[in-house]
Amino acid sequence: MTAVDVQQVRKIYRKDAEQIVVLDGLSLQVPQGEFVALMGPSGSGKTTLLNLIAGIDRPTSGKVVVAGTDLGTLSEGQLAKWRSRNVGFIFQFYNLIPVLTAVENVELPLLLTRLSRRERRERALTALKVVGLADRAKHYPRQLSGGQEQRVAIARAIVADPAVLVADEPTGDLDARSAEEILNLLQTLNGEFRKTIVMVTHDPRASARAHVERHLEKGVLASTVSRHEPVPAGAQG
Amino acid sequence: MKYLPYILKHLRKNWIRTASTVAAMALCIFLISVLQTALQAFYGGLETASTERLVTRHRVSLVNNLPVAYAPRIASLAGVRRVAKFIWFGGTRGAADHADFSNFFPNFAVEAEPYLAMYPEYGLDAAEKEAFLKDLRGAVIGPALAEKYGWTVGSVIQLESFIPPYRIGKPFEFIVHGIYEVDKQKYPNFQEDIMLFHWNYVYEATGQRAGVGTYNIQIADPDQATAIAKRIDATFENSDVQTKTETEAQFLLGFLEMVGNLALILNAVGLAVAFTILLVTANTMSMAIRERRTEIAVLKTLGFSGSLVMTLVLGEALVIGLLGSGVGVLLGQGLIANLGAVPLGGFQLPALSMPTTLAVSMFAVGILIGLVSGLAPALGAYRGSITSMLRQA
Repeated sequence: MTAVDVQQVRKIYRKDAEQIVVLDGLSLQVPQGEFVALMGPSGSGKTTLLNLIAGIDRPTSGKVVVAGTDLGTLSEGQLAKWRSRNVGFIFQFYNLIPVLTAVENVELPLLLTRLSRRERRERALTALKVVGLADRAKHYPRQLSGGQEQRVAIARAIVADPAVLVADEPTGDLDARSAEEILNLLQTLNGEFRKTIVMVTHDPRASARAHVERHLEKGVLASTVSRHEPVPAGAQG
Repeated sequence: MKYLPYILKHLRKNWIRTASTVAAMALCIFLISVLQTALQAFYGGLETASTERLVTRHRVSLVNNLPVAYAPRIASLAGVRRVAKFIWFGGTRGAADHADFSNFFPNFAVEAEPYLAMYPEYGLDAAEKEAFLKDLRGAVIGPALAEKYGWTVGSVIQLESFIPPYRIGKPFEFIVHGIYEVDKQKYPNFQEDIMLFHWNYVYEATGQRAGVGTYNIQIADPDQATAIAKRIDATFENSDVQTKTETEAQFLLGFLEMVGNLALILNAVGLAVAFTILLVTANTMSMAIRERRTEIAVLKTLGFSGSLVMTLVLGEALVIGLLGSGVGVLLGQGLIANLGAVPLGGFQLPALSMPTTLAVSMFAVGILIGLVSGLAPALGAYRGSITSMLRQA
């Protein structure tokens, strides 16, 4: 079953009279449970493609179907609701809310559900346990290391149990050791929890953890590297 | 309610900015509420002014007195029930050359019998009234004066007017025969710090120079007020001293507006203050939200709809509005309740209280300022696209 189906997508930005074609008729299919790395030089359209898959941007033309929903048919309100249930987004700079503790940050997506306060808190703590940070639940982002912040961000991304996780350079702001921990965690989420993951990265060590590497060049898919068995944790350290 | 902790945490994070915005808002509400209370008190007499009372004064100015001889001519006109001579005496305690205006209070020389008959606002015990009417030097005082100066029935009071026709080279001496009571249900704005004494006493003591400040007239039919007023003025149309007769409410309004259109001035000040605070609060809210563009983008990425994000921003503005108006109204009530103890420019203000409707209105104004100030940043948060907000971060 296909988790992500991008069909002939074009994305054009307009800057004054100039048109910048960021994605040019790109198509991509990601089967359910797959871990895909999107690579390419700056300006190749990786992040734009990721944004389209996450439903936070719309294509100029073409079709994006994620988790069985054609995102082009949804209104802004419906799209927001869809995002809350189907996609977990992991940012390069974590983007935790500084005034909230780790557990409150993780709990945020659950505010949109009908869960009781107690249920929300239990689920947020479970997500923190999955990323190994149950003991930091009451810490504020400023009291956590970069790696810990990113783990909290991952807990926030998985707490609503979405089908697809999208990660925009999740190790881009981390030291090697923290990056390793984050990649291990993503592999675990993919392997054990069967999450479909689409990850943008510049880091070959990160892309080596994926089943498939897709390379973008000037808005089109240039090449694909497929592995049956992704590189195990620590093998490229 | 589940979003309230989120809103409060943001307000607490930058507590200095929040506190200063709340303080600015509170100051605005405080100022407006005090000004409006003063205004309502100032114009309060108009609401309770009787429709069956007219006031006749000198056509040129209130400063000029009317002839004593006008009394029987007015009384003889059709529709007139009673006529009472009235003088705004302007008496102060102590010598007139060194008048003590810090303890100034209203004191009027009146033709007592008809005056008390047409002013039921002065609730007097029958025995006290009789004693007052019998004694030319007698006086009646309000309960506020009795409390303030410790005067009781039998107290002797000396007053000297600063108005030349009523000066006799020494203070007038009065004996208190009664302390009037005001039925606050019927006359909520009636003053309790007035002193009344006999017009005859002033007239005789001044060698019949005193004249009459105004003729206060009771009429039989309020519907005939305009016609009777015209009739009175027509009677003296060809006299040396012409008159101007108005209903009591018109007279009071004219008297109050001698200091200018106070309502317009105070309302303009209130509006200017409110508008300034609106700009300050709007600027603060805009800054606060601009700093959190990434956070708003993240919320939207997590699935918060544009309208929910907008509600959260407006929620912050609303909390500021509520806190500001709450503090402002409390401060205003505190000051207003103690105004009586504050000497201002030589005059002492009467004890006032902020009407409940005004307090509620002030809350509404605070909430409105809060919401309006949050509107622009809230709309920005509602409309902003996630990708552009993330790019701008």
